[in-house]
Amino acid sequence: MARILDYYQVAWRYEPDIFPISWNVDGVVVESFAPDFYLPEVDLYLELTTLKQSLVRRKNRKLRRLRQLYPEVRVKLFYARDFKSLMLKYGRLDFLADVTAMNGNGPLNAVSGGED
Amino acid sequence: MNPIPSATIHDDVEEVLLSGERIQARVAELGAQLAGDYAGRDPVLVSVLKGSIVFLADLVRQMEIPLSIDLMEVSSYGASTESSGQVRILKDLSMAIDGRDVIVVEDIIDTGLTLNYLLRYLHDKGPASIRICCLLDKPARRLADITIDYRGFTIPDRFVIGYGLDYDERYRNLPYIGVLRPSVYGAGPPEG
Repeated sequence: MARILDYYQVAWRYEPDIFPISWNVDGVVVESFAPDFYLPEVDLYLELTTLKQSLVRRKNRKLRRLRQLYPEVRVKLFYARDFKSLMLKYGRLDFLADVTAMNGNGPLNAVSGGED
Repeated sequence: MNPIPSATIHDDVEEVLLSGERIQARVAELGAQLAGDYAGRDPVLVSVLKGSIVFLADLVRQMEIPLSIDLMEVSSYGASTESSGQVRILKDLSMAIDGRDVIVVEDIIDTGLTLNYLLRYLHDKGPASIRICCLLDKPARRLADITIDYRGFTIPDRFVIGYGLDYDERYRNLPYIGVLRPSVYGAGPPEG
């Protein structure tokens, strides 16, 4: 994703903000959410999801909580199918094959790992 | 092993999303609306190769006002062979647009990344105004703030082909907008 944003000259920052979404009775933060990317030009956070369904459910729950607590924050969830559609559009399904072999945020790992 | 080529391009269509008749009716409405809004303003319609040419060709024939046409081509991420490449203009405008009213004609707006880049580029050319006319708006994955002034249809998040839109440079000549069978790209790009 970082590579696509760079290609189209869209400014981005990686996990610049952490949003607390759950506290214990002492007021200590016990759960937070740090969206993967922030696009300052459009004031939009972007969260990439994994192919693993259990992680998708957890992320969906965290995102719902974030939207409840911070309704002014714009977050877009990019599912694995969205990334696949993007790669299909760009005719880069070969790249997708590399991504789907990874756990976690595959597209992000692919970029931060410097792989091609 | 290469897949067997389809007998016709229609065989690879899973579903017709927008019929040719429906598209033509909507294009006629958009053309009439644009002609009314731009009467006496001699607009320049700037279209982006290659997907938009079918829409542009039909649209301008529904606008019975003086106008100009220009074409641009912008590189695509998919065609980039460099991991650190950046978008660039492959074909620039052939006419000056400073002081002109520009209508950007797009086939489809998905992420909006290409159009976002193009709009910044066009703004630097000093036009009097820029408005956007797109046939298909697919807002599900929008990553840029794009204001669409004239919209043909809002479509769901499906991979569509036809009426100028391609997969691997095929299917642009379908007279309707269809959804491509997943088996076409699941089994690799079509050969022929």
